[in-house]
Parts: sequence; C-alpha cells; structure tokens
Amino acid sequence: MKPPFEILEHPSDLGIEARGATIAEAFLNAARGLMSVIAGSSTIDSNEERLISLVALDRENLLVRWLTEILFLYDAEKFLTADAKFDMLNNTSLKATVFGQKYDPSNHELTLDIKAITYHKLMVEMHDDIWTARVFVDI
Amino acid sequence: MEGLIYASDKLIGAIEHDETLNQIANVATLPGLVGRSLAMPDAHQGYGFAIGGVAAADMEKGIVSAGGVGFDINCGVRLLASDLSLEDVNHKLDDLLNQLFRDIPCGAGKSGTTDLSFEQLDEVLKYGAHWAVENGYGSQEDIDHMEERGRMLNADSNAVSKRAKQRGRDQLGTLGSGNHFIEVQYVKEIFDEEAAQVFGLRLDQIVVMIHSGSRGLGHQVCTDFLEVMQESMPNYGIKVIDRQLACVPIKSKEGQSYLKAMAAAANFAFANRQMMCHWTRQAFEHVFGLRDLRLVYDVTHNIAKEETHSLGGRVLVHRKGATRAFPKHHPDIPKNYYEIGQPVLIPGSMGTCSYVLVGTERAMRETFGSTCHGAGRSMSRHAAKKDSSADQLIHDLRQKGIHVRGASKSGLTEEKPDAYKDVSAVVDVVHNAGISLKVAKMVPIGVIKG
Repeated sequence: MKPPFEILEHPSDLGIEARGATIAEAFLNAARGLMSVIAGSSTIDSNEERLISLVALDRENLLVRWLTEILFLYDAEKFLTADAKFDMLNNTSLKATVFGQKYDPSNHELTLDIKAITYHKLMVEMHDDIWTARVFVDI
Repeated sequence: MEGLIYASDKLIGAIEHDETLNQIANVATLPGLVGRSLAMPDAHQGYGFAIGGVAAADMEKGIVSAGGVGFDINCGVRLLASDLSLEDVNHKLDDLLNQLFRDIPCGAGKSGTTDLSFEQLDEVLKYGAHWAVENGYGSQEDIDHMEERGRMLNADSNAVSKRAKQRGRDQLGTLGSGNHFIEVQYVKEIFDEEAAQVFGLRLDQIVVMIHSGSRGLGHQVCTDFLEVMQESMPNYGIKVIDRQLACVPIKSKEGQSYLKAMAAAANFAFANRQMMCHWTRQAFEHVFGLRDLRLVYDVTHNIAKEETHSLGGRVLVHRKGATRAFPKHHPDIPKNYYEIGQPVLIPGSMGTCSYVLVGTERAMRETFGSTCHGAGRSMSRHAAKKDSSADQLIHDLRQKGIHVRGASKSGLTEEKPDAYKDVSAVVDVVHNAGISLKVAKMVPIGVIKG
C-alpha cells in the first residue's frame, strides 16, 4: 500500500504526491507532505486551531489555494499544521478547521523554507478508489 | 515569434534535457511580445517561464506575466569591496564567519530582528533601500550604486495584499534559505584591467557577495497575482498553453496593479540587502577594526522593467533568472561607471567561483540589455543529498580553503557545488557572444548558507 504522501524529485525544487480514500484525506496528506518539507520529521501537536474557507476556479486550483493557505499560516504565524477536519470540500470550495501548534524551537527543526505552491504537473484525480493529489513547490 | 538560446554544445545538452525548450517556445506564443523569446546559457526549467529567460512586451499591446518574473521578486546580488587582501583576513576568517552567522538571521523560518509595524512596512515598500539608509543602514553612496537606485518609483503598498505583508513583516533583514548566501571571496583573476580599476577591484582583494530576495512578501505577491491573472485573463480574450503563463495586458487594471505590487516587493528586497550589507560592515569592523566595505553594485535578476530599446521602443522587459547588462554611456548606470558600463554580478554555486562582468552595446541590440544570472541547477535536491553528508561536504570544502557555516545540514548538501552547472562555462558563453564581458573572477573563502 502506498504511503499517505511521497516527496517527488524535480531539477531544482520538490514535489508532493499525496493519497487518500477521500479527496479530503488526500488534501490533508498533501498538507502533511508540505509540513514534512518544512519541518522534517518533527512531531507536531494539535494544541491550536485555525479556520480556512476558500473558493477556487477548479479542483486543482483549490489544491494550490489550500496549500498556499497552509504555507501562509506557517510563514506569517509560524503555525505548523498537524491535522484538519473538513466541514465541506467540493470542486471549487472548502471549509476546514486545521489543528496544529506554533513552531517551538525546542521541539521542531525547520529544514527548508518554501516560497510558493506552483501549478507544475498539478493533479487531483481518483483512480481505483484512491484519490491522488500532486503538486510541486518552489524552494 | 522565434526563440533564441545562448549556449555552448555542452550547456545545450543540459537545456535539452528538461522542459526549458518547450517553455521558451510557449512564452513565444504570448500576445504582444517583441523580438524573440530568449534563453541565457544557465537556463533551466521553471514554472511556465524558464529560469534564465528574457521576454519583452510592447507597452501598449503587450502582456505582463507574474510568472515571467518569478516568485522571488528582485532576487538579486550585491558585491562589496574591501581594502583588505587575502593575507589580512585568513587568520581571522572563522571569527568573521562566526560574527556574520550571529549577526545576520539566516535559515529556514528565521525571523528578522527589526520589529516593524505595518505602517513602517509600507514605508519600506515605498522607499526600498532609501528607507534603510534613512534608518541608519548605509549611506547615499550605496544608493548611487544600485540598480534602480534601490527604489522602484512605481511601487504602491496598497497593491500588496495583507497576506503578503503578514508573511514579510517579520522577515525584513533576513537572508532566507535554499540557494541564498553570503560569501567572503577574494579576487583571483582580472580580465579587464581598466574596468576592474573603475569598479574598484584588484587581485587578492577581499570582497563580499550577498544573494537574497524579497522573502515571503515577494513570494506571496507573485502567488496572489498568478491567481488574479488566471481569473481575469479570459476578460481580455487571452488563452495560454500553460496556466503558469497567466498574463494580462500591461495597460489593464490588473497589469498595472501587479507592476505596482512587484515594484513594492522589489523595494523590500533592496531594503533587505541594504540591511544585511550594513551588518556585514559591522562584522568586519568588529573583527578587523575597519568598516570600509564599498558597494560595487546591486543587481536584480527577477524583475520586469519598463525600458527603451532599439527593437520595440518602449517595452516591458521580463527578466526571470537574467540580469540587466547596460553598456557604457547609458543614463541609468552610476556616474562613476559611465565610461565603462554597468557591473553584472554572477554568483556561482557554493565553493566554486563568481564573476563580475560588464554590460555591452551588443546586449542592448540582441537581448534587451540582458545576460545570464548564475549557474543553474543540474541535479535535483534529492540526488544532491544522496551519497553526501554535510560533514563530508564541509570537510571537502575546507580542504579547498573554503570555510562554511550553514543553518541546516540538508540545506548544505542540497546546495553542494556538483548540484549546479559550471558557472565558468555559462560566463564564457555570454562573454563570447558579446552580451556581457568578463572583468573579474572571485573565489570564496567563507560561505554563510541559509
């Protein structure tokens, strides 16, 4: 069985391929993949929460906007995401509560900053009952 | 419209291996472009536009594309020249690197030491390096030796989203991570004695190179406007082959808004490099008792500029991983370089070498006054980390006389010299093509990596 997410090679940056039984699970695992690039194998607790509400042009755009939001929470607030509960997720919008904690230097090691989420080889698809979300990030 | 690539036989092999050629061709399909879709010898695959690409658009009929500038708006380089020589510095190099590493925040997640309000940030976005000088970081002489004199005048902080400001507010005065660095170097070779003398460079001289950009603020500005451009593009009847080429007419409301926000982000980066320059001077003063690190020049290599060129007249030149290379007698270069031309600063990868070049008339005729920007990656981060340990890399570089301080071990191995193309090969191409000419070659002795 394939892992919830994998890091993909790229000539200069990195990709994340996430999977789930539902699209929500794939989106959550994509966020976890993003966190693994930023904070390595640091354990992130779920002490705090943030609300995210987004609209998008299509499903792929929604994935980019979702991860842009997760990245924003880290870059602006040093908030690391561990988990998420989706109240609603369709092809063009989502509402979610994300759970995580603020960066704590005694517990977390930050490894790499991510500049942005890109549209390179962007994919959100279902095959054989598995949802796959793939995205590349600019380092 | 045609594409034109500047490369050698060896470098074209690398260019052909990824999607660079397709991306150069795709850019050529955008509306209102002038001349050719250009690629420099360090070109490699980017997002929509290749990195190492130049595309000029007619100001009236052409488009502007956020992807044609890149996420790291005004990622750029500055070079500082000291009155010290290699033998003056060697015995205290570790002290210097330790001081720089202490004084200049670098690495993933590092916050700046300046506690800025949003109102103060708006001043930074409007005034760029001028804000920094007004607040005690450097002098007017620095301003005179920067591209755009350290401030893009069309900046408007109102065009920058609150999110971009929230990302950037805490990051002013930080180096960043990835391929950003501060290097202590010495001048190993002079190719053009006259130009070197005018730029204030001599053999064995200790210089410092700083490579950094607009941090989270610029990254968010690009992200925001990629969305805006995607959404509004259909209103102008524009369709693109790759959604990352999303663009709008320069004269449109969205196009003008992007250019104002881009300029504001560029000003953030100018201020950022100016502050790190000031702390570098302080570190030199602390360790060597002197503070005379003169700014040779500061260039940007991710930007869109309104310029006048013989081909196309008034055009918007997108430079994504490409450096401006204006010739002598151009009104936009520093007065004391007027008879020589604009310095072009080309950083190499960690532990290799860097160059100072000079701009030429030929660049004005052929490449909208543009040239390469650096080495370009040849190996993925994953491949670079495989079979490499940071400790071994630090040891190997030490054997070559290069001391390294890195904020993260994986950051170091991902940036090892082999992961990049040969910068000397890149520079030879632009020199032989006559679009910028070699002045000096520098070799690092100390590296600070984020």
